[in-house]
Amino acid sequence: MELAWHALLGLFFAGYLVLGGYDYGVGLLLARGADASRRRAALNAVGPFFLGNEVWLVASAGILFGAFPVLEGELLAGSYPAVLTALAGVILVTAGVQLRSRPESMRARTTWDRVIVVGSLLAALGWGVVLAGLLQGVPLHADGHVAGVTHLFTPFAAAAGLAVLALTVAHGATFLTLRLPAVEGDRLRPLARRLLRTALVAVGAAVLVGVFSDRVRAAAQRPMVGVLLAVLLVVALLTAWVALGRRRPGVAFAATSAALALPVLLVGATLWPYVLVSTVEPHASLTVTDAAASAPTLRLLGWLAVPLLPALLGFQAMCWWIFRGRIDGRAPVYW
Amino acid sequence: MDTLLLARLQFATTASVHFLFVAVTLGLVTLLVGMQTAWVVTGNHRWERMTRFWGQLYVINYVLGIATGIVMEFQFGLNWSGLSRYVGNVFGAPLAIETLVAFFLESTFLGMWIFGWHRLRRGVHLALLYGVAITAYASAFWIMVANSWLQNPVGYEVRDGVAHLTDFSALLTNPTLWTALGHVVSAALLTGGLLVAAISAWHLHRRTPDFALFRSSLRIGVVTAALAITLVQGFGFAQFAPVGGAQPTKFGATSPHAEELVAEWTARFGPGDYLPPVLSSFGLGFMILIGFALGLLWLFVPLLWRDWIIRLRFPLWLLMLALPLPFVALILGWIAREVGRQPWVAYGLLPVDQAVSPISPWLMGTSLIGFTLLLGTLAVTNWVLLARHAARGAADPALGRPPAQPPADDARPEPAFA
Repeated sequence: MELAWHALLGLFFAGYLVLGGYDYGVGLLLARGADASRRRAALNAVGPFFLGNEVWLVASAGILFGAFPVLEGELLAGSYPAVLTALAGVILVTAGVQLRSRPESMRARTTWDRVIVVGSLLAALGWGVVLAGLLQGVPLHADGHVAGVTHLFTPFAAAAGLAVLALTVAHGATFLTLRLPAVEGDRLRPLARRLLRTALVAVGAAVLVGVFSDRVRAAAQRPMVGVLLAVLLVVALLTAWVALGRRRPGVAFAATSAALALPVLLVGATLWPYVLVSTVEPHASLTVTDAAASAPTLRLLGWLAVPLLPALLGFQAMCWWIFRGRIDGRAPVYW
Repeated sequence: MDTLLLARLQFATTASVHFLFVAVTLGLVTLLVGMQTAWVVTGNHRWERMTRFWGQLYVINYVLGIATGIVMEFQFGLNWSGLSRYVGNVFGAPLAIETLVAFFLESTFLGMWIFGWHRLRRGVHLALLYGVAITAYASAFWIMVANSWLQNPVGYEVRDGVAHLTDFSALLTNPTLWTALGHVVSAALLTGGLLVAAISAWHLHRRTPDFALFRSSLRIGVVTAALAITLVQGFGFAQFAPVGGAQPTKFGATSPHAEELVAEWTARFGPGDYLPPVLSSFGLGFMILIGFALGLLWLFVPLLWRDWIIRLRFPLWLLMLALPLPFVALILGWIAREVGRQPWVAYGLLPVDQAVSPISPWLMGTSLIGFTLLLGTLAVTNWVLLARHAARGAADPALGRPPAQPPADDARPEPAFA
């Protein structure tokens, strides 16, 4: 039961990184100084999916609170600065994207676009650091509380934050090559491939820093699984790079999506059976079972999830299906 | 400044701003459902234009509802980690259900509704709005289940200092739930109705074009607000009995029951101040005053006959002047309910000082100032945009604009690869 909820939590957070990831990637690409109509087209390429994407984060937080209340408190309070950064970013992006076209003046819209860029930057960096914080262990004491926040400021956390940032930009560019009108999409292909190479370097650097970090090595319960998944991540990025070269944006997007989901799987699988590994007192480490809500709560939520999950995924799939394909001049423009 | 006070201030600020927006969301979406249904059933073009105009305001308002909602949700873990540690097994369940059943679907539907104009069949498009409305109400319900549990913890047992769920149905039959839910939902309808009436009054007063559209909107708004205020009053007064039973100390009452309870808490949790600050009674008093004042909305209803409400002019002014009242009352109402629960997070079970996260005051203060500035700026910007779009009128809202039509509201058109 706990395992199922752990997997579900991972699924929703990974889903958020994949879907919200291209929102932020597209948001970051607004910084390129493209003309106003291109910026607007990029945002409307995300268009109908935008609202449905960010709620994966809301659902992850809901599952975290409902099924893993102890983890919720310690993880969020224990990663305070990183969560704060990510949250500020999420808010700026959600307000920016939805409000940027409401003022008439071009200057106001350009200002909003800058807000979106900053927000995307903060969100990508923040969630990267949160994931890194999990992987390098936290100062969890015997009283069950994480003490202090300075434990987050390590080279590995910085490298992981930058790696997630690079991943989202490359993912966003790949999304646009798939979604914009064919001519425009093709125009972005070289940029997307350059960004994929950057992401490869950033991910490689984060993996190296992680492998040589004492704290990560101490916290990893299954280091081989971690390394294997890191290799898979690199393979996914290479696949995307090759696929874009062969003008297969669909395959490339699938590969970058996998690349954004893999870090979550990596953290979850490497730490298993723990969710929070203590760097100060080995006995204080929190296992998935300890962190989970008690049996009656999980049973209740379980009965609810059985009919609900197909509905949630079904309505999301309906949205993807209705608005599938490349946008064209006939698509609604609202953002 | 201690961490606890800062955390409480931050929660109060976020919750207040959040509620100003979600009340409008809930009220407006109900009226939108009516308007779009009328459009689909009658095929009358005016209903489509009304749906687009009010829908545009709804969607702008929705933005801050989400932004503040996300901050609220994360704040539980960030600032109140004790809450999830000690009562998360019970309190977390309705919140988790809310995010999955309501918030998740509501946003998914809304995205499809905004971009589905001219693309989906009318029936499907209407069904999406129904989905948005139903999930919005579901959201209100589950949040109130969670809140009512904090007001009056039921259906749990404490083992090893941690609350465990024993009876979920007790959460749904909580005496502090249903009347409060009715009160909050009708308050949202009141706010939505009065907003529609006041904006229409402004247009009718200024004699902008679209007389027919704003005349209909005014009538809908006035009737909705009048019906809603009666419900607000009814559910409001109906709450006194169950709240008094569940929370004897709520309004600083010195009844024998309350004194008994305070003595029991002093024995269990040590000496302390177990009565809420006077602020809660202050909130209650002024809210009731506003509630009675708004009861006068019924006087506008007979004036709808032969459009006297428009021809006399001054009722239009009164409606515009009354617009801030429900918003003020919303805040006061939450002050009465939430401050009246002090010093408890979960009444009689978990005091606030045990629930707050062990975070340094500096960090908490940074978070408080940062998020207050961020959300405050966004809220003001959002209201300015709402006012501008309300004033611009129903000529050509961006929402539901046919894709082929060049946007008339853009200073310089920027066709997206048209």
